[in-house]
Amino acid sequence: MACSLAWTTAACSFSQDYPASDAPAQPPSQQTQDTPLAAPTPLSDGTYPVQQATYDDGLGEYSLMLLNAPSGQSLFRSAELPLARLTDEEITAGKSSELRVENGTPALYLTPDFRIEYVHNVTETQADPQTGQDEVVIVRRESNFWTPFAGAMAGQAIGSLLFRPQYYIPPVYQSGVGLSGYGGYGRSYNDAVSRYQSRYNAPPVAYRNRQFRSSGRLRSTVGGSPRIPSTNTRVNTNRPSGSGVGNSDLRRNDRPNQQARPSNRGFGSSRRSAPRARPRMRRRR
Amino acid sequence: MGLRDRFNSFSGGTRFVVSRVFVHLVGQDVAPLLGVLNQAVREVMEADGDMQVLGEQLAQVCDRLLEYETFWRSAANEGDVTWDEGEAGDYVSDLFTDSAGRYGSSIDGASGEPTNGASSNGVNGDEDWTIPITQNLVVILTVAFEGEVPELETSLADVEALNAGLKALINLHHRGTLRAVQIHFSPAQIGDDLPSDQLIEHFPELIPL
Repeated sequence: MACSLAWTTAACSFSQDYPASDAPAQPPSQQTQDTPLAAPTPLSDGTYPVQQATYDDGLGEYSLMLLNAPSGQSLFRSAELPLARLTDEEITAGKSSELRVENGTPALYLTPDFRIEYVHNVTETQADPQTGQDEVVIVRRESNFWTPFAGAMAGQAIGSLLFRPQYYIPPVYQSGVGLSGYGGYGRSYNDAVSRYQSRYNAPPVAYRNRQFRSSGRLRSTVGGSPRIPSTNTRVNTNRPSGSGVGNSDLRRNDRPNQQARPSNRGFGSSRRSAPRARPRMRRRR
Repeated sequence: MGLRDRFNSFSGGTRFVVSRVFVHLVGQDVAPLLGVLNQAVREVMEADGDMQVLGEQLAQVCDRLLEYETFWRSAANEGDVTWDEGEAGDYVSDLFTDSAGRYGSSIDGASGEPTNGASSNGVNGDEDWTIPITQNLVVILTVAFEGEVPELETSLADVEALNAGLKALINLHHRGTLRAVQIHFSPAQIGDDLPSDQLIEHFPELIPL
């Protein structure tokens, strides 16, 4: 799979949001990953009519086919793209769905009937024929569509906020039924996730997939797609080698300067004043 | 239980516990454990970090660590309790960054070394006589879970407590209450070394058992 693309990055430098240039998730069953890294050049400010939009629910990533974009940039990808509905005046004036980039920040403006192609990854737990162990694989991808601003549905709850770019998470996928409206929305991606979670009692799949991290000697990938290629793999540090993986389906506050941890409810071997502190050293050998 | 804790538990809030455990093993015989660890992270990578797979591999690693009890040399743990899911999520994320910062990420030399195969072939390399066998191995396991597990919410820097703590981690997987799992280890593979001076420098919290 994607691990075959050799690159690495400093173990402690993982960022929590992923650049828009990430390739979409490849099914883990695929052996090769031939999607080249998209050029990191951001689109310059402007308005680009959208020919086609696709949303992949494996990573929650949008892919847009843009018109009038500079050559090589007609395919736009972003995992965190705010959406807004075009106003009725704009629609009457003949505007169609478009990507607007203002101060380097993209937002997708849609007509109410615009259909985003929705790619649903169907996963299944299967036993690996070689090891007999269970593993989760993407068995197929279903194609559907999503109309975030269809009819009155989306409008009822958020009213005029519709016309301001906000983050939206699609409703829970149902096979064979077109999706309309949203599962969560918010001024930030995390707000949207948290609204989704309070509605469905579980975070969206894309969010869970995106928290997967790996570090160290492992060829780092996220959701099967390669991240920033390292320009300098030879860093002379006085550090041992190591590897690590981790994932979480916890929501995050993403508070920059979190209060000192652990709190007074904290515990552990180095808690000096902890009420439950035990004798620290008990030599066994 | 403090007043606030009691209030939170009556009001039906979810109690989140974040816990990180360091286990340091010593001896030439610990090298096969590196094969187990590499196998575990490879399974996780292949499943794109699927939580169920991560939980299984965590249980597997704990199981093997328990078998290696006689090689445990030092340990440490830390953690916190919160009713705020976002706070738990932030803490887990910070712990990943911190754990990953304990070891280097560069693959310098490794890609050209003949020993590199060990990372993909697991324990195959230990039959090669020319490979120096590491004396030190540190495994860092981090979890977040819902509920209360007294075996983990204490100091694990003694053999009985660590034994009970690792078993509690296995049970958490089977109980299905895990919300985050991280598995880190250093060195990365057979043939790499974790010298004692680096151990002291990068894992200062370790307490002799």
